[in-house]
Amino acid sequence: MVAASWHIAAKDLRLCLVRGGGLVQALLLGLLLLFVFSLSQQVGETMSAQGAAAIFWLSSAFCQVLVFNMLYSLEEVNASRLGLLLMPAPVQAVWLGKGLAGLVLLLLAQLIFLPASVVFLGQHIGAAWPQALLMLFLVDVGMAALGSLLGALSQGQAARESLLSIVLFPLLVPLLLAGIRVGSAAFAAAMPEGAASWMGIAAAFDALFCGAGIVLFSFIYAGDD
Amino acid sequence: MECLLALSHAGKCYGTRAIFKDVSCAVPAGSITLLAGANGAGKSTLMRVMAGLSRLTAGTVSHHVEAAALGYLGHATFVYPTLSALENLAFWAKLYGLNANEHSLLPLLRRVELERFARERSGTFSRGMAQRLNLARVLLLQPRLLLLDEPATGLDVRSAALLRAEIAAAKERGAGIVWISHDVAGDAPLADSIFLLQDKKLAYAGSAAAFMQGGAVW
Amino acid sequence: MASRYSLAFAVLGAVLMAACQWFIYVYAPVEAVMGLVQKIFYVHLPLSWWGLISFFVIFVYSLAYLKTRNPAHDRVCTAAAEVGVLLATLALVTGSLWARHSWGVWWTWDPRLTTTLIMWFVYAGYLVLRGMDLPASRKGVVCAVVGVAAFIDVPLVFLSARLWRSVHPAVFAAKGGGLDPAMLTTVLLCVASFGFIWAALLLTRIGQLAQQERLEALLRIDD
Repeated sequence: MVAASWHIAAKDLRLCLVRGGGLVQALLLGLLLLFVFSLSQQVGETMSAQGAAAIFWLSSAFCQVLVFNMLYSLEEVNASRLGLLLMPAPVQAVWLGKGLAGLVLLLLAQLIFLPASVVFLGQHIGAAWPQALLMLFLVDVGMAALGSLLGALSQGQAARESLLSIVLFPLLVPLLLAGIRVGSAAFAAAMPEGAASWMGIAAAFDALFCGAGIVLFSFIYAGDD
Repeated sequence: MECLLALSHAGKCYGTRAIFKDVSCAVPAGSITLLAGANGAGKSTLMRVMAGLSRLTAGTVSHHVEAAALGYLGHATFVYPTLSALENLAFWAKLYGLNANEHSLLPLLRRVELERFARERSGTFSRGMAQRLNLARVLLLQPRLLLLDEPATGLDVRSAALLRAEIAAAKERGAGIVWISHDVAGDAPLADSIFLLQDKKLAYAGSAAAFMQGGAVW
Repeated sequence: MASRYSLAFAVLGAVLMAACQWFIYVYAPVEAVMGLVQKIFYVHLPLSWWGLISFFVIFVYSLAYLKTRNPAHDRVCTAAAEVGVLLATLALVTGSLWARHSWGVWWTWDPRLTTTLIMWFVYAGYLVLRGMDLPASRKGVVCAVVGVAAFIDVPLVFLSARLWRSVHPAVFAAKGGGLDPAMLTTVLLCVASFGFIWAALLLTRIGQLAQQERLEALLRIDD
């Protein structure tokens, strides 16, 4: 199963990064959001660390919706989905493969978003950055697990992006809150409650939705029309 | 004869609409079975059930071949347009845990007359070429059970002949083949038996020669 | 069958709710600080409880649907989502009125209120999904998966909302703690009366959905 997932992820990354440049759209949308929100500051004013972290995660969330739509639409063109369903591996391999590809793409996008939020929103990275980096990874894993599960639900649908974001965003709230709090600490804000409890919430979310992905994915990714 | 696939009292509904019910049949190795029926008779649905792509609402389907030995060739070409012909094949080969180097894949492309275009993006291919690439994907798997859902749609005469030759070769190799053809009368001479879906039931299951002598024309 | 039950529940609910009015306005004492506005509490609490129970019903029947693919289970989910979103909406409105009077703001970051709001968003999205033009079996499966994923998210939403609040001023003390016994009786009665109304609504809606499906099946042109 892991081998099949790996091949699927490698194929998807190749299609998105090398051919077609599918990530560009997601990147541009995220950057645009960061820039537009930078307009909420007066000249010479800097945004609060928490505000900046919120905008960073908002950009990431939108980017994630586009990424998973793109990943699942790859199989819609010539119904390759059926081909994946026929492969001699559990269908969860598709969930894992798409999740891995999505995680890599999201991390790549954040590699751009992070400096962009520092620049546009006038932040600087504080001493708490190592724990924030760990947190970033934990949150991204959860986003990828849930995104890979729900990304499959819009298969064969028009208006996928809006549908996916409506269902996905509210479910992501615990992760986003965790990301924002710890992220704002990295942008040098005080965090009296400490990062550990937030990491606990993010880790619990990851575990829960990895489990949900494994159990529920086979229902949602099927050949039945 | 060895049975590769058996359906027992199989039924399928979408909501309250029954597609077919009480279908029992078996697909033996080394044979070609034509699946016939009018438009909308549920042939494709039955074939998806056989492929394990669709759930039955009643009855059972039992496969006596492993998933890796099942080949399915339908209207959809399964082709990734931004990958080259070779890369497409290599991807499927890897998924099935097969050798994915050029040495083993190029001969397959030669068999379906696509060797010249091995490194072209398959998005530029015509429908017929894409379907031949799809055929190469199926040949790669060397399936023991081969399910064909109007595979010749959109193929020119030459490609259709190539397809038939491969179907015959697969039978020689001992594969069991179920074939939905848009030209039953034309393809019946190749077939051993015929399944006819009519009025949501399996109305006929038996030898192809006897069926054609009965004078039914599709 | 279902319609007989829903009628019985509706009658019971109506009688009980009428009785509740007496309990709310005559029997239960007027709260010292909040005054008359505190009476909202007797409506707000049952609304939010039965809203949450609706979502739990969706969770249970979604699992059942995934296991059995019985369309009847899917109809329960549809009905529960509609009723649940309705109750959650009313709970939010009454909660907001409470907040305005009690803390002078229409909205505050209270974990319970926030969780209700997030749930409202999730299940409103769920209803959008329900309204889409998908084949019935596919829609059932997709909605069931979302129904399960949404409910297991509830505890995390609540925990994270509570943790988040610790950075905001804690605006109110525990509500349930020092509840007057008369108030407690009243609120329990209210919960019960709303329960009957809830059941009546749910059963009526399930019945309607079943009829609708029957009609559509009869009207379909079959070849």
